[in-house]
Amino acid sequence: MKIHRKKRLINVLLLSLLSGAGILMVLYALNSNLDYFFTPSELLAEEVPSNRRVKVGGMVQEGSVRREDSIISFTITDYSKTIDVSYTGIVPDLFKEGSGVVVLGYLNDGKVDAEKVLAKHDENYMPPALQDK
Amino acid sequence: MIADISHYLSILSTAIFMLTFSLVLVLDRSASHATLLIKRSYSHAFILFLISFLLYVYLALTDNFSVSYIAQHSNSLLPNFYKVTSIWSAHEGSMFLWIVFLSLWGFAFNLHNDSNLNVKNLSIGIISIIIVGFQLFLLVTSNPFEIVLPFAPENGADINPVLQDPALAIHPPTLYLGYVGFVIPFAYSLAFLINGNKSLDWEKKVKSWSVMAWVFLTIGISLGSWWAYYELGWGGYWFWDPVENVALMPWLAATAFIHSLSVASKSNVLRIWNLLLSIIVFSLSLFGAFIVRSGIIDSIHSFANDPQRGMYLLAFIAIILFVSLGLFISRFSMFDSSKNIKSLSKESFISLNNIFFGVLIFSTMMGITYPLIYELLYNQKISVGAPFYNAIYAPITILATIMLVASIDSKWGRPIDVKRGFSMLYISLAISLIGLITIGYFVGNMPFIIMLSIFMGLVIIFRYLMLIISNIVHKKYTNTPSALAHAGLGLLILSISVNSILSSEKVFNMKPNEIREFQNITIQFSELELLNKSNHDSIRATFSLSTEGKQFYLSPEKRKYFARGQITSETAIKIMPLKDIYLTIGEQLDNGQWVINVQLNYFIRFIWLSAAMMALSGLIIIKNIIRRRV
Repeated sequence: MKIHRKKRLINVLLLSLLSGAGILMVLYALNSNLDYFFTPSELLAEEVPSNRRVKVGGMVQEGSVRREDSIISFTITDYSKTIDVSYTGIVPDLFKEGSGVVVLGYLNDGKVDAEKVLAKHDENYMPPALQDK
Repeated sequence: MIADISHYLSILSTAIFMLTFSLVLVLDRSASHATLLIKRSYSHAFILFLISFLLYVYLALTDNFSVSYIAQHSNSLLPNFYKVTSIWSAHEGSMFLWIVFLSLWGFAFNLHNDSNLNVKNLSIGIISIIIVGFQLFLLVTSNPFEIVLPFAPENGADINPVLQDPALAIHPPTLYLGYVGFVIPFAYSLAFLINGNKSLDWEKKVKSWSVMAWVFLTIGISLGSWWAYYELGWGGYWFWDPVENVALMPWLAATAFIHSLSVASKSNVLRIWNLLLSIIVFSLSLFGAFIVRSGIIDSIHSFANDPQRGMYLLAFIAIILFVSLGLFISRFSMFDSSKNIKSLSKESFISLNNIFFGVLIFSTMMGITYPLIYELLYNQKISVGAPFYNAIYAPITILATIMLVASIDSKWGRPIDVKRGFSMLYISLAISLIGLITIGYFVGNMPFIIMLSIFMGLVIIFRYLMLIISNIVHKKYTNTPSALAHAGLGLLILSISVNSILSSEKVFNMKPNEIREFQNITIQFSELELLNKSNHDSIRATFSLSTEGKQFYLSPEKRKYFARGQITSETAIKIMPLKDIYLTIGEQLDNGQWVINVQLNYFIRFIWLSAAMMALSGLIIIKNIIRRRV
């Protein structure tokens, strides 16, 4: 009986240790793969390292969209600060000046090199961070 | 008028489902007359609800825009097919369909006779009260029957054009059928716990139901992936979006559940684990409904935000979890857990893989909820994307495939005989190594984890092939569904890996008659047409492509729909044996050039083929179970 209980105790301890280690590893993986979401003002106020992937949301500033070869560049505004973005590729159908946009990419010399440009599949979409402003 | 009848029938049905639940509570559940009454009561409630839904379908077909939901999501110009599917293009109608399917599973279960009357009646009672919970949710927070007063609009607002697609029309119903199907194992295992007779073989009873629900979930998820690939124009098949993840979690849990069910029926271990899993699978399905319906998490799929709906669902899930887990814990002593699993036996490998499934589900859950927690703690918005999921899924899947391959040579209830020859394993390993080197020759450098994935994918496929061949030679029985589903898994791992390293894309700016080159493909912009269709205008660009001595045309389009003014892109895809050539057209530049995107997506068809193999294997299992019963 005693041996049986001791064995069970060891099993329980081992199991908790393993699950603890597992949870720590998942948390570590999470923290090293997060994308921070910023509005242009927040992004300019923070010190973001250039190897950190960021998400920037706001509105595409009127008259800011420019194309050069296959590179498209535009400015995201939150109506107080702005940030320039460049992207290679086709922007979504709903991407237009004066509409909401979210880009995913890296900050480089005060500009965002976007890997992805997302426009919501909803004509009335506003990035959540801008709704209360 | 008909809308009122439909609404009234739904309310009446809710009352009768409530009555069914009360009958289960008060009557003697082991008596045959009580069983008959409960059975009839459930059937009546279901049929009323079904009539209510069919009337609603009729309302949609006849363009009854006095119903506010139909006015907002349908249009008289739509083909009849899309008038019907517009019902599940948004929240209220989706919920309606969801509950119809929930009660349909219960109805099928209700028709089937069970030798244990008590457990059968208890299950029907549990299913009924869950249906009531959802019907109240529908009627109170998301009423699809609301009437536009005082005058009905002339025409409806139209369904979102990206949703006007056959695959998307059947994707939600299939997915819902999968989600709610797990109500049967859930209700049955709870009934088993309440009944308290541990000799009852409940695992065997719920197997065919669980496999059926799993098949629907598998097909539903793959249809969504396929649709996103050709419709959204991004060329991907999986985006790790929260809404995809909440469908993946019950799928993983259900896959683990089906495996551990067969362990329990073969060697009488993992019985407690099975009970827990039946609760987890159904709760994850409900959690999926909560995430999608509450809009709590920012997703490209988000439906309308409504905190009231989210709160209701959250409370409902909490009650269900509280009651079922409470019951589970209180009956814990029912089982003696002294029976251990022998190491290196078949069940030991399956148990280990169950743990790996658990890790994947837990990590996915963390990925979905972490942004919420993080914002609460640090007031900083974050999102968790593909890099996190890749970092978790790749190594865990590889570990799981090692267990899978080891389990093929193992036996139930006893350890692997180490002295036995493993010639078939060695041959499969050797062939896979040659396969990997061949692929490496064409691909060049690749990351270690991808190399390992390709190798393990090949090992699974060849090991099962060897197994089938040797069984045919020695005239032995082959577990066909198992071989088919696992070979499908091998193919899935192989295709995802190859797709991730070989696929490439390039953006060109082109004018009509210009020529560009991309990876041995010559692309000529041959023609640009303007088309006027019944519900949209379209710009269609035609390209002449030639590669590997073949010549063909691809015509991507850009459309503008009248009803909503929405612009959509139609991709053009050439399916070749090993890859897709995927063409989309962007906007026109000031100098008259058009932005063109060319993608080469390798092995992408094999991804859906592997899902089809898994779904087919599920159907074979069900066919075998039914044949054995008859």
